[in-house]
Amino acid sequence: MIEFHNVTYAHQKGPGVNNVNLTIKDGEFTFLIGPTGSGKTTLMRLIYFDLLPDAGYVKVNGISSKKMTKRKIPKARRSIGMVFQDYKLLSDRNLFDNIALPLHVLGYPGREIPDRVDEALELVGLEDRDHHYPDELSGGEQQRACLARAIIKEPDVLLADEPTGNLDPVASFELVRLLETIHETGTTILMASHNYNLIKGRGLPILELKDGVLRGR
Amino acid sequence: MDKFLYLISEGMKNVWRHKMTAFTAILSLFIALFIVGILATAGENTHKVLQYFRSKYKIEVFFKQDVSNEEAVGLIHRIKKIKGVRTATIIEKEDAVRIFQDQFGEDIMEILGYNPLPTSAVVNLSRVSRDLIRVEPIIKEIQKIERVEEVRYQGNLIKKIERNYRRINDRFPYVAGVIIFIAVLIIYNTVKLSVYSRRELIRSLQMIGATRMFIKMPFIIEGLFIGLISCVLVFPALLGSIEGVNYIFSNFTPWRISLSFNPFVWVWLFSLVVVITLIGSYRAASSYLK
Repeated sequence: MIEFHNVTYAHQKGPGVNNVNLTIKDGEFTFLIGPTGSGKTTLMRLIYFDLLPDAGYVKVNGISSKKMTKRKIPKARRSIGMVFQDYKLLSDRNLFDNIALPLHVLGYPGREIPDRVDEALELVGLEDRDHHYPDELSGGEQQRACLARAIIKEPDVLLADEPTGNLDPVASFELVRLLETIHETGTTILMASHNYNLIKGRGLPILELKDGVLRGR
Repeated sequence: MDKFLYLISEGMKNVWRHKMTAFTAILSLFIALFIVGILATAGENTHKVLQYFRSKYKIEVFFKQDVSNEEAVGLIHRIKKIKGVRTATIIEKEDAVRIFQDQFGEDIMEILGYNPLPTSAVVNLSRVSRDLIRVEPIIKEIQKIERVEEVRYQGNLIKKIERNYRRINDRFPYVAGVIIFIAVLIIYNTVKLSVYSRRELIRSLQMIGATRMFIKMPFIIEGLFIGLISCVLVFPALLGSIEGVNYIFSNFTPWRISLSFNPFVWVWLFSLVVVITLIGSYRAASSYLK
């Protein structure tokens, strides 16, 4: 569950979010829309404790920002998966190594890792690309690889910050379909986008952010 | 255990993934370690070289004309008791005539009809001491013996050799210290550059919940690995250099000095590399993750 209680955060340059109150229940798939600069990324960063609120508090899977310290952040992030617009895949290693990385961080036994990576790659349709390097893949494939890396550790919460920002309409549509498939396994998903056409008509809750203020759902 | 093995393999793979950075670091560190190794080997061999030169120190003591060979034996015993004297060898009057003939090709007995050469002694100084040998007090002690006529010695040469030995000994720790400091800086800067060039990796690791230690460890292993490669390369280079110097000594100089390589120097270099790479890498990785 994700909870925001009167959360305010201001960047040194430019606005952040202002007095946000929000609850996303376990297993919900929620869209967050708003124009560029409306505070979507700030809100996401508050969820994975990359930013800590100036006022109010954020609670994710029972972990509150109130008592958050640098030392506790890694543990808090282990139940959160993230997908970014710019993929953030590591260019110096192949897809297999990129996707296996979270499992190494979590200390999975080495013998379990290949099977799990294969499963994740199969889910996103990249099973024959495991030895390719990121720059050998298309944008859509890179984003799906990024998704595989996010879900391989079976997170309770999946955050997708403008994941279709660099994709063509077909790849964007495929990615949202994939997120819906993942959601069916019970993962809580919050996807930020400024492309309303992509998310409308899916029967899923939509939050709107404008100038850092949440406009309701 | 799997996590630990993964971190070690990542550190080693990073050397291969970033070949050019690693090559530059290995080369720089190799040069620094080579200089430290040469200094350490030189330090180890300085005493050997000094002993060689000290073995050439010679004090000639000429006794008065009326000192007989028998009396000279007693005087030699007194000289041997002086602190810093290793040996004293008597040169009897008859030996002196022979030496004169060997050196000048003339028989002085035939020329003069009598032997004017006094009984004398050649005194060698103790050479094992790591302390400075001060020759003047020994000369003074010898001169105190009333039956001694004259003492000849290579005063300036002995002073020069002893002074230079002391200079080398005094300065060695400082020079070695500076080179070691440079080696630490090389490792520190290499890892720091390496960390900076992999901000993307660090950010990704932070996003997926990696602890600071998990992020730092591969960089530390990488630094350590670079250090060990340099160290392994330095070993044959040092041995080769010593062999080269020995070849030059034996073929192109009159000195009969054979430098040796003490395996302890390598153990010392190895330990030094481990310590400096650990410190350098840890500090560099930590400074970025503050």
